[in-house]
Amino acid sequence: MATAVNWIDRLRIERAVWALDQRLYDLPRKSRIARRREVRESLISASRDIGTSAALQRLGNSRQLAAEYLSAELGDEGRPHWFAAGVFLLTAQLVFTSLLTEAAMAFAEGIATAMPSATGKFEWSGIRYLQDTVQYTFVDGDATWVGGAWTPLAWLLWLTATVVVGRLWRVRPMPLLRRKNPASLNAP
Amino acid sequence: MSPSHDPQLLKGVLSLLLLHLLAEQESYGYEVVQRLHELGLADILEGTVYPALARLEREGRVRSRLVSSNAGPARKYYRPTATGYGALAKGTTEWSSLAVIVSRVLSEPVPPEPMKGS
Repeated sequence: MATAVNWIDRLRIERAVWALDQRLYDLPRKSRIARRREVRESLISASRDIGTSAALQRLGNSRQLAAEYLSAELGDEGRPHWFAAGVFLLTAQLVFTSLLTEAAMAFAEGIATAMPSATGKFEWSGIRYLQDTVQYTFVDGDATWVGGAWTPLAWLLWLTATVVVGRLWRVRPMPLLRRKNPASLNAP
Repeated sequence: MSPSHDPQLLKGVLSLLLLHLLAEQESYGYEVVQRLHELGLADILEGTVYPALARLEREGRVRSRLVSSNAGPARKYYRPTATGYGALAKGTTEWSSLAVIVSRVLSEPVPPEPMKGS
């Protein structure tokens, strides 16, 4: 018996589609859109037939479904996680820069607390290995500073961590493997 | 109520079943699921069939086209390609051969389970 799909059902369906879509960022955009459409259309059809709750239940866990889709489209071999790499790249830079800035500010506040009307130049060597020297200029307790940039080691660690988080070492072999032996990626 | 089936067994033959059903009749995802259910395979969930169709499409065994629907969004219809028909023929032969052997083994009588302590 056909059941009417009301707007609450549509919202529930959209939520399920969105939850799935959030886990499909590693797929090409065109493919993601196609999967969204297909799942949405199927859920609406199933919802009419068996009700929205049953339709969503039969679709299963969005994490597992996304994993099946990723495996189906990209193969079972390890693949890079572009989305995770992108998120880490931006987040780590924001967090690390904030941390270094806070550390530099804390040093300036320390001087200002110890000498409220400090005037002159001060230097802090920064967080060892990760930050360049910070130079402060105090005029009557007001500080300005320059320096404190990331060291080459910090940049290297940041990039290395991005590669690790995103499994980016898998980027090169995949296209080569696909060209050499397409069947190797098609195994059921 | 239809008996339940081992998910691993079903997963192993799902591609073959899908190819066969799509060769019988071009269908969209949800319709394929319904047809499987009508055949008595109620254990097969939508969340298993859709990725399997995606896999078949990536492997070039089925192709799809969007058909507008009066009942809602456009539906994606699948049908086998020439490669898909080849895979279906090969898979059917392999399955039949395997089924014969398995049936023969399973139809052999087994001695009764030994009693405890004997």
